[in-house]
Amino acid sequence: MALYFFTPFIAIILTILGGGIIFYILGFNPIEALKFYFITPISNLYGFSELLLKATPLCLIAIGLSFCFKSNNWNIGAEGQLTFGAIVGGGVALLFYNQEGFYILPLVILAGAIGGMIFALIPAILKTYFNTNEILVSLMLVYVSKLLLDYLVVGPWSNPEGFNFPETRQFSDSSRMPLLFEGLRIHAGIFLALAAVMLSWFILYKTYLGFQIKVSGLSLKTAKYAGFKGKTMILVVFMISGACAGLAGVGEITGPIGQLHRMISPDYGFTAIIVAFLGRLNPFGIIFASLVVALTYLGAETTQIFLQIPKYTGQVFQGMILFFLLASDYLLFFKVKILNLKKNELRH
Amino acid sequence: MATDLRISNISKIYPGCVANDNVSLQFKSGKIYALLGENGAGKSTLVKILSGVISPDNGEVFLNEKNLKLSSPLDAKKNKIGMVFQHFNLFETLSVFENLSIDATEDNKGLRVRINEILKKYNFSIDLDVPVLNLSAGQKQKVEIIRCLLRSPKVLIMDEPTSVLTEQETEELFISLKKFCDEGILIIYITHKLKEVLSLCDEVAVMRKGKVVSVSQTQNEKVETLANKMVGQKLAKIKKKINISKNKDEIFKVKHLNFYSDDPFETNLVNLNFSVKKGECLGIAGISGNGQNELFQILSGEIITPDTSIIFRNKEISKLNPKQRREYLMAFSPEDRISQAAVPELKIYENVALNNFKSSNFFEKGLVNERKIKEHSKKILSDFSVNTDNVELKSQFLSGGNLQKLILGRELITAPELLICYNPTWGLDVGAINYIHETLIKINDQEKSTILISTDTEELLKLSDRIAVIYKGKLSKIMPSEEVTPEKLGVLMGGGSID
Repeated sequence: MALYFFTPFIAIILTILGGGIIFYILGFNPIEALKFYFITPISNLYGFSELLLKATPLCLIAIGLSFCFKSNNWNIGAEGQLTFGAIVGGGVALLFYNQEGFYILPLVILAGAIGGMIFALIPAILKTYFNTNEILVSLMLVYVSKLLLDYLVVGPWSNPEGFNFPETRQFSDSSRMPLLFEGLRIHAGIFLALAAVMLSWFILYKTYLGFQIKVSGLSLKTAKYAGFKGKTMILVVFMISGACAGLAGVGEITGPIGQLHRMISPDYGFTAIIVAFLGRLNPFGIIFASLVVALTYLGAETTQIFLQIPKYTGQVFQGMILFFLLASDYLLFFKVKILNLKKNELRH
Repeated sequence: MATDLRISNISKIYPGCVANDNVSLQFKSGKIYALLGENGAGKSTLVKILSGVISPDNGEVFLNEKNLKLSSPLDAKKNKIGMVFQHFNLFETLSVFENLSIDATEDNKGLRVRINEILKKYNFSIDLDVPVLNLSAGQKQKVEIIRCLLRSPKVLIMDEPTSVLTEQETEELFISLKKFCDEGILIIYITHKLKEVLSLCDEVAVMRKGKVVSVSQTQNEKVETLANKMVGQKLAKIKKKINISKNKDEIFKVKHLNFYSDDPFETNLVNLNFSVKKGECLGIAGISGNGQNELFQILSGEIITPDTSIIFRNKEISKLNPKQRREYLMAFSPEDRISQAAVPELKIYENVALNNFKSSNFFEKGLVNERKIKEHSKKILSDFSVNTDNVELKSQFLSGGNLQKLILGRELITAPELLICYNPTWGLDVGAINYIHETLIKINDQEKSTILISTDTEELLKLSDRIAVIYKGKLSKIMPSEEVTPEKLGVLMGGGSID
């Protein structure tokens, strides 16, 4: 049990080692490069604010995903739910682009959550009533929502004064997340993430819904035998998950971005899958994991600036985390033994 | 050549449990040895040591005075120790021949010749080219035995081989085993069925709590003496008095129960009709895999079938799910304790909460009422003498018997009018079996009804008021149990008919 929460740390250490080896092969001093990757980005206040800024959507989405994953529902399409949430929330923000009012931001946020929820309901309904595979459907819907966003920002919603750039108008200040500190980009969305952590902990460990999710995740046979309403539960966990992704999306566009354009998310929805597992699907573990993974985004940017390595190293690091996590989980209970057998002895 | 297997001072200690405590035994070819003991007595550990699956902390194994280093199953095979496990290690979709050729050392032609020789010699009738999934349990076991024979073993260890066999198949197995024995193969027969020991084996070693408590000639033993050695205390014999319930109300009535499945691993059910009276136990006998799983799930509401009519206490309940059926005071104890009736990773009190009936208040307004659930769980643990009072314990640390007591306790806490159980004592030791049987009888004494689906004929004869047999998804006529004999049941279970 203790090991179960320990393997994420093993995975992180192995990832750092693996990263060092890659830097070395690329011809850099590994210690130096790792320092640029993991230390430099958060060595000042601005960097730290950027870390929290990136961790916020990752944490929110991963919290939502943990509901799905814990109950054996494989929602892979959080990126799509994020995008659709941003579209709906952004649409509301655009409606009010020239108005002021305290009620606008809550409306925008709510719209974003509902958008994500509706988009997540599609794979859920198809799964419960038509027995489709939610992995495929939710994944394919990502591309649907991205293309829809593309169409909107190029076509009907593009900024009339924007010289045909593929982007919408800037949202009015009433649609923007309040900044927490002057000069830093960290915004009030972080409170949404923290609230989601608390709320999810409460739901997962203190309510009947949480109990049903837990049992279904451990044994679907038992859930059936106990008479849980399996279909309702699938719909509910997808809705929770979609709402969280939608909130993350709306947090991005009302926070650092301030408008809709093509690149509202550097694949937060996919990366959050890694966050969810690295955090052991535990609300507090997810906070920790989202900070670690957010750092891989920042590190990729600094190494690009200082060492001229493409920022896609970030994805390499994220991939390594997942790889080492799965490997250490799998090998945790294995004993390594060197066998010295002649080939045909194996056949006896 | 005579074989002599000697186990010397074997010990194996697991954290918190001495599985084998200084075990020494000697076996010689030409005899069949029984290794008898309750679950958890240390038989399996000993067998696993002999087959190289685990290594002992202490002690040695000698085969013909040669000290064996058994550090993997490969070593056991090399030293001609063959093992037939209770659960078969066969690929269901491959043919018999393919299964046997997987780890063979010779070419297919030679192998086929040798297999055919074995089939002829021991009168086994198995088609080598059909997929294993089409075979009966007895035939599958024969495939496993052939696999061992192909290696011309010196020692053959049989682990609870009859738990899945019909009476007929059991007899055939015994004949084969005696033949192997005559040919000089040393046979070690592991079981907790006393009668088998007496009818098959020459010598019996009884284990209890990791120790060998007695080694004796079976001719000097009786069922009672062996049982006492095995359990370590005098067993009170329980026998149910038959419920004279001719005029009582029918509380549960099933009509036109049909089930059709495309899955080759499921059994179709064809037009089952039966009813249960108040205070009665209806036994449903059969070899496993004849539709009991499907029947249980339909009765519990896990599977809803369209045309079936199920009337319980004058209400039509055929469309209700298990939770809703529980509200009408039905309770269910499935066969699969570990992955269905309970979740081993959950704590005891969480497993208790799986039976969340309305008046329990386990979950109030959607919130977990942990205090209430724990209170309730404590009561179950003490009422049903589960050997722990720690409701926070994960269920995986309970033995099979204690887990079953917990499950029964959980199901009975609502004082249900009808309990449906499927193999409630499967794999349990004598002490736990007795306890569960007493509990089931008590339920009937309190005028509550039970449906007992079981593959254990002895259990059925002991507990049921009426018995029917399920064979290939069809139900025989229902007979009063005083008219039923084990032989009759055996014939019906094997697909024969009686008049």
